[in-house]
Amino acid sequence: MTKLRITTMASMAVMILSLSGLVISPADAAVDRSGKVCVQEGMVVSSGGVTNTCAKTDKGLFYTPSRKLSGSLTVVCGATEAWCGAMTKAFTNKTGVNTKFVRLSSGETVARLDAAKNNPEFDVWHGGPADGFGVARIGNLIEKYLSPTRNMIPAKYQDTDGYWTGVYVGALGFCSNTKELKRLGVAVPRSWADLLNPKLKRQISTAHPSTSGTAFTTLWTQVTRLGSEEAGIAYMKKLHNNILQYTKSGVGPVQIVGRGEAAIGIVFSHDCVAGAEQGLPLKVSFPSEGTGYEIGGVALVKGAKNPEAAKAYIDFALSAEAQNLGPTVAAYQVLTNPRTKLDRRMVALKKLAIVNYDFEKAAASKKALTARFDSEVAVAPKV
Amino acid sequence: MGFLNLQNSHREEKLNVIDVTVPRVVKKLRNPMRSSSKVRLDRVTRFVLWFTLALLAMLIIFPLGNILVTASRESGREVFAALFSSSVTQQIVKNTILLGVTVGLLGTSIGFLFAYAQTRLEFRGKRILHIISLVPLISPPFAFATAIIILFGRSGIITRDLLGLSPILYGFPGLVIVLTTSFFPVAYMNILGMMRSLDPSLDEAASILGASKFRVFVKVTLPMLIPGIASSFLLLFVESIADLANPLVIGGDFTVLSSRAYIAINGDYDVAAGAAYSVVLLIPGLLVFLLQRYWAQRRNIVSVTGKPSGRISPVESKSAKIALLAVPFTVSFLIVLVYITVIVGGFVKVLGVNNTLTMEHYSYVFSGIGNEAIFKTTLLALIATPLAGIFGMILAWLIVRKIRRGRQAMDFLGMLGIAVPGTVLGIGYAVTFNHTTKLGNFGIVPQLAGGGAIFGGALAIIMVYTIRSSPAGQRSGIAALQQIDPAIDEAASSLGASGVVTFRKITLPLIRGALLTGLMFAFARSMTTLSPIIFITTPDTPIMTSRILSEVDGGRFGNAFAFSSILIVLVLIALGVINLFVKGRPTLSLTTPID
Repeated sequence: MTKLRITTMASMAVMILSLSGLVISPADAAVDRSGKVCVQEGMVVSSGGVTNTCAKTDKGLFYTPSRKLSGSLTVVCGATEAWCGAMTKAFTNKTGVNTKFVRLSSGETVARLDAAKNNPEFDVWHGGPADGFGVARIGNLIEKYLSPTRNMIPAKYQDTDGYWTGVYVGALGFCSNTKELKRLGVAVPRSWADLLNPKLKRQISTAHPSTSGTAFTTLWTQVTRLGSEEAGIAYMKKLHNNILQYTKSGVGPVQIVGRGEAAIGIVFSHDCVAGAEQGLPLKVSFPSEGTGYEIGGVALVKGAKNPEAAKAYIDFALSAEAQNLGPTVAAYQVLTNPRTKLDRRMVALKKLAIVNYDFEKAAASKKALTARFDSEVAVAPKV
Repeated sequence: MGFLNLQNSHREEKLNVIDVTVPRVVKKLRNPMRSSSKVRLDRVTRFVLWFTLALLAMLIIFPLGNILVTASRESGREVFAALFSSSVTQQIVKNTILLGVTVGLLGTSIGFLFAYAQTRLEFRGKRILHIISLVPLISPPFAFATAIIILFGRSGIITRDLLGLSPILYGFPGLVIVLTTSFFPVAYMNILGMMRSLDPSLDEAASILGASKFRVFVKVTLPMLIPGIASSFLLLFVESIADLANPLVIGGDFTVLSSRAYIAINGDYDVAAGAAYSVVLLIPGLLVFLLQRYWAQRRNIVSVTGKPSGRISPVESKSAKIALLAVPFTVSFLIVLVYITVIVGGFVKVLGVNNTLTMEHYSYVFSGIGNEAIFKTTLLALIATPLAGIFGMILAWLIVRKIRRGRQAMDFLGMLGIAVPGTVLGIGYAVTFNHTTKLGNFGIVPQLAGGGAIFGGALAIIMVYTIRSSPAGQRSGIAALQQIDPAIDEAASSLGASGVVTFRKITLPLIRGALLTGLMFAFARSMTTLSPIIFITTPDTPIMTSRILSEVDGGRFGNAFAFSSILIVLVLIALGVINLFVKGRPTLSLTTPID
């Protein structure tokens, strides 16, 4: 009883402290029955091979006794090498499950999941984009899993049916090379309309919507904000004159802009921030008309060899503790768990004008829309 | 570095050493003298033959067959239909052919100029020029294109900072520059060997009869070089259209089939369409083989097989010399700049933007993430290297000496490893070896690729390395074997040696040089192969090239440059070691990585 009371009191203290934005030291933290520390709800701790997830109840923080884990785990990871490495290492340290990863783009992931459908080589897909999960679900490659931690994640950042759950969110923004803009005599862009400035001829770098989720987000944002595919394509046609080249990867423009090959890139803002941290003269801005966003999620692979560990990994990935690893490895995406620490390098989503992005509709329209982009926009001569 | 000296020690080699045309091999075999050497196959040889065929089936036929099946799915058939109906798809095909032809022509011309300079001109720095021209054979993926942008891009170190220019390289011009510079050494080696073995007495005769130097060149020398020039062109054509890494970095809006296949898989999640584009890409490859055969059967002007006699009189005119040397020296300068950029890029923060010296890229690369990749990649390449070398030699031996019917088909199958775009091979392997397959009544192919396979999928990677690098050994082996009089084999046979004993005791020692070449290329190629690896790398087999791709993807070029520099150093060390262990002079053949 005493311990329970301590737990309750401590958890209140934790909540007050976290609300006031102070760092919580273990001394202030809740202590569970086995004496383990549970600093935040959504945190995963493990002792003696038993993993627990700190979840929220009306009483505060407590542990959900989890399954006993063993064996090894293979993650196919779409985030950066460093982030994937930090995540899997932390999970191994916590649970003793030997966790390894392969970093693959989402297209390669789907291709490999499909090729090994009958004998999956991966257990978890971490860091995939919503549209990739959509394709994997249709192909029967991922499996529904409702993590207990899932309830903490805002509903708009997860699949309603539980096939995947969001771990991070990235907002589309403009990434400007301040030196180049100065040279061209152009102000930092604040709207989609600013990008059509004739002074920016062949000065904008963006990816191709077929190969890059980032660029498709750009395209769909135009469709959403202008009201129709027709209008969206029309905008992209105008923008086409100012495009240097359509890169294959969504992050590509950051380097291109960073070294002054182009003046402005249309990228997810966190990639621009990471570029600026490398020492590139970059500045992030957002369009006033509204911008789009992406969700990176985590999903259970169908027929996973070690489903218990895979589910525990998903619980872990959704926890505040795991998500907080992001900024430590230069990943500045907005984290989906509301209890995570806010890093000043992350974008404050609440302050942004965001379009009403319909992921399902976007995914359904993708193939036809990118084909249209290919034949009507990308091949047009630049005038 | 023996590897880089290949050609200079080559003066006495006979013409056929660098003979790359498949059909000419065949022609030689038709010679009645040679075919008399075909003895009835003994039991061991027959076993070797069947074993080799089984290996070929496993390594290339089976995966390719699966790709064809994949490509015939609905979205794949749509791609084939679009070839005839969609202007976008037709444009992609046109772009691909335009790129192949341009790089083929330019690369062959530059290779020719280098070869001409080596054989017909006397100048300072001849040897260094030769060494520099072979350096691009070790080019890690992306390194070349990235370095070119940093140097010559819109805000390039040279173009803007030094010259005040801001050219836009993305697209066709950039691709041509990068592909030509990285692939021309193939043409150079080809033509160089050929020019060295030309008999100067023919030139002399023409001069004595009063022909000017230029006329001698056009009327005498050039016609004899045509088979070599043609085969160089066709090879460069295939290599440049199958390349993926460069179109991804510098291709701009200029889409080619290889990048379209990549888009299909990575963007549209459509493996069938990707396979279909790749099958379309295979057609020019097949045409090249057929064309080569047709060409060499009709034209076989070069028939010099003895040692060249007489002396070549070098070009003396100073202005002619300068004109002829301008291109080779410019290209060499470019190569040196590119490799310096790669190496320096690993030691500064962001090359060209923030040139502060730093070790952070190397400490990142040598941290847990990179260490394992460096070790395992080298290990797997080292395992694959002797396999590829020996497999290539056995193939060559069977083709030249042992089999009568179907040797062209066998030669072709052996060469498929480089003719097939890497992406296709990778998907083929993923589809084929990611699960256990029952082969009718004959047996079972266990799972070889993917994390769930034995040795964590390492076997599939070794298989890919082997089939992609054995063609080098096969080609040089065929060329070498043709120079050895079959009578030696016959003597051994009549003394009672079996085919295999003859091969081991007689043939192998005689073709050491070819084996050495095969081994060197096998290692260099294995270490730099990327596109098939993407589809079969597993957590237990992290591969350096795929790490480089990750770093490039994330825009961390410093790390990519550090990885690339380490890769170059490793290849150089290994080539030195191979050179020490396998005694014999390397002979040259046609190969550089096709990715």
